[in-house]
Amino acid sequence: MLKLGRCVHLLARCTNQTSSFARTLASGGTDITKPFRQIRDGLSWTIPKDLQNSDRPPGEVDVLIIGGGAMGSSIAYFLKAARKAGVSVAVVERDSGYSMSSTVLSVGSIRQQFSTPENIYMSMYSAQFIKNVQEHLQVEGSDPPDLQFNDQGYLFLATKDKEHILHENHIIQKNCGAKVELMTQNQLKKRFPWMNTDNVTLGSYGLENEGWLDPWSLLKSFKEKAIDLGAKYYNAEVTGFNVVDDDAKPIDPTQFAPNGRRLNSVMVSMINSPEVVEVKSSYVVLTAGAWSGQLGKLLGIGTGPKEENLHMPIPVEPRKRYVYFFHCPEGPGLECPLLIDPSGSYVRREGFGGNYLCGKSPNECDEPSCEDLNVNYDFFDTEIWPNLAHRIPVMEKLKVKSAWAGYYDYNCLDQNAIIGSHPAYGNFLMATGFSGHGIQQSPAVGKLVSEKILAGEFQTIDVSKFGFERCITETPVLERCVI
Amino acid sequence: MLTLLSVSISTIVLINVKKWNWNALFVALAMMTFLSITTVNNSGSASWSFLSHSLAVDSLSAPLIILSCWLAPLCFLAQNVVKGNSGSLQNGFLALTCSIIFFLLLTFSSLNILSFFICFEATLIPTLVLITRWGANVERLQAGTYFLFYTLFGSLPLLVSIVLISQTTSTLMIPISEIVSLQGNTFFSINIWWIITIVAFLVKMPIYGFHLWLPKAHVEAPVAGSMILAAILLKLGGYGIIRMNAYFPDVTTLSAILTVICCWGALITSILCTRQTDLKALIAYSSVGHMSLVAAGTIVFSDWTISGAIMLMIAHGLVSSALFALANILYERTHTRNIFITRGFKMITVLLPFWWLISCAANLGLPPLPNLIGELYIITGIISWSIFLAPILGVATVFGAIYSLLIYQNTNTQSIVLSSMSFNEISPREHILILFHLLPLLSIIVAPNSCMVWSN
Repeated sequence: MLKLGRCVHLLARCTNQTSSFARTLASGGTDITKPFRQIRDGLSWTIPKDLQNSDRPPGEVDVLIIGGGAMGSSIAYFLKAARKAGVSVAVVERDSGYSMSSTVLSVGSIRQQFSTPENIYMSMYSAQFIKNVQEHLQVEGSDPPDLQFNDQGYLFLATKDKEHILHENHIIQKNCGAKVELMTQNQLKKRFPWMNTDNVTLGSYGLENEGWLDPWSLLKSFKEKAIDLGAKYYNAEVTGFNVVDDDAKPIDPTQFAPNGRRLNSVMVSMINSPEVVEVKSSYVVLTAGAWSGQLGKLLGIGTGPKEENLHMPIPVEPRKRYVYFFHCPEGPGLECPLLIDPSGSYVRREGFGGNYLCGKSPNECDEPSCEDLNVNYDFFDTEIWPNLAHRIPVMEKLKVKSAWAGYYDYNCLDQNAIIGSHPAYGNFLMATGFSGHGIQQSPAVGKLVSEKILAGEFQTIDVSKFGFERCITETPVLERCVI
Repeated sequence: MLTLLSVSISTIVLINVKKWNWNALFVALAMMTFLSITTVNNSGSASWSFLSHSLAVDSLSAPLIILSCWLAPLCFLAQNVVKGNSGSLQNGFLALTCSIIFFLLLTFSSLNILSFFICFEATLIPTLVLITRWGANVERLQAGTYFLFYTLFGSLPLLVSIVLISQTTSTLMIPISEIVSLQGNTFFSINIWWIITIVAFLVKMPIYGFHLWLPKAHVEAPVAGSMILAAILLKLGGYGIIRMNAYFPDVTTLSAILTVICCWGALITSILCTRQTDLKALIAYSSVGHMSLVAAGTIVFSDWTISGAIMLMIAHGLVSSALFALANILYERTHTRNIFITRGFKMITVLLPFWWLISCAANLGLPPLPNLIGELYIITGIISWSIFLAPILGVATVFGAIYSLLIYQNTNTQSIVLSSMSFNEISPREHILILFHLLPLLSIIVAPNSCMVWSN
């Protein structure tokens, strides 16, 4: 009897929505998914309206993700994609326009040419994911995502004295199954006639699964699919943590066993408002990019006693990197890979109009200050252009159209990712410190962190080498191909 | 007995010292529990023993009264979280829970159908306040709405039926209901009359079609509310059907249809349980399954099924409440009820898996625990009524075993996440809580007649 009344009510709402749906179609309206979604959650009429579209985080979630960039959104997507688990996910992102996020300001490239097998495997997994992204990330009722993945490969060039590094890396990459090939000077001359191969004796060229994509599309696809699957995004900022340490006891610092401390809740303060919401969560994942070190200090990581493994801070800090966009009318065409000069400058094609992106990591001693994202054009003139012009002679004539700066979430220890939980807080996970190769590892990291939460261990790739423990014992896992 | 009831409730008001009000209430309720055991009359027949000039118990209501009295102090033992609130809020919580128990006792011992109905309805409001004020999530508002309106609209026809009964028979006394004969009148045939009487209890039990309020209310309620809801408020439905069936001795067509619906409902909810992700929702759906079985038993109304229904009601009350208390022990520490995250606690909580094992074994119907006795009696009675229900009930029992073991496996023996395993030890309060749920269960094994005899 009651159900009949509800059915009639629902039917009335459906017909109302269909007619307005017809009206929006006729008028060229854009949101065709709203009636489908409302029918799917039809019983939401019993929840008061202002609670349905609340932008305050709930009092309790299963997993709270700090930072909604590519990493955070990827983790949210993979957690929700494991539908059987039914985990509730909240993502807290303080910058709804992503104006300073490393994700959208990155050059968006993906390569398998690393020297650590875990890095290679993660990139391979991500490349597979990106090639099949339409199957994974399509939201019902809207267009499939288009990441504009250009499969043109990376080309690392080496001079005579660095040749052995390229050889050793090549063996490791081949063992992991990456599709790369070494090219001698003659092969390089024949394949890329526009390149000046004077002092270059060896090149390592990625044949497949290497190239570049649009990082903003990747972020948007992850975020929209995660929201469609039920994750909730909140425009707020994390300003504090509450810890339960009833049973905390001093432990042997070489034993990374849990010691009774537990992250109980997170204080989330809303933007432009004095309101602070306490969100109790079972797991907290830190994916705040360049600001992860800062947030770690809020939790006491770096300021605590050595007995509780809290004396080392999260060694992630922002480093500013410039990207220059220039036009060179006679530059290399479609076959132009992402070329990495022995001096460290890189250049890649962008689009089909003779436009290119380039950049270079500055030396340790002249790191630009990170206060703002202003671009120093002199850096291009003095550091990058001479190398470019030497390597690709036609690039002597070019015009810089624009430039931008973005932050690397730079891991001061070894410029490799930190993935895993903190020894002192068992339910605090981190996925940060990617130092410039974050985008290409974001799908893999999302999958791995979701496995760590749902299955207790990394199942797809064993990245325990990248855990936080190495930061405490200060044993770096160095990567030899750093850009 | 009424004096003791008022004593227990007045302890909240009189003992205003914040530190002692929970303990004082606990002691008063425990004393009342001991006195309530005197109500059990083991003479082996359905004789009424009078508590006062307007309250009486017989062998159907005595076990239920003892169950309510037993669970009252236990739910105060379980509810630890409210202690952070201010004094008046704490007193409010205590007063609400005590009033639920007060009205429950009156319901089970009332001699008059109308007073039974009034107390039946009176338990709704304090439970609603408990869910919507002290629940944890935003969804508790929807849960409260569902709970209130389902049970309210279900019991409206019951009021009409009671008025009709009082008009046609000019009496509302329960003990003489068997010798009253009702004929249908121009408004209602006897079948319709029976349906409008019973639908309140079917919604309360709940059976499968009317069960939507139960997962919501159980999940969103605080643990004391969940325990009382699962243990006793559901049994009000069973009690009501058994009492009211005395007025309607021959409603064969409709009762056949309802029995089949209840049996299918038990099967469907058992299958649904295997796919739940929320631990409390799992236990709530298992309650629906067990109660559907009890409903089928009471509608069939034979000697064996009624005995089985009473036994299963008592046993399920204790086991379901124990499971909710166990789920809450984990929830207070991990802040999540997701079974994929609260998993593998066997290594960490050392004695708790033992309690989990006994509770889950009881839930699935392990001999010699009384759950099995109840289920067996009901299933035997229903099968002898119609053989075609045998496969349905058989598969429902199998799935019952599957999800009960799933609960145990997921919370205890699943692969652990060592890094997130740091939390407080299980305090003796929590161990005693579960122990006192399971002790009566074990003692019923040696004295089954206390919960089974009811013949008219």
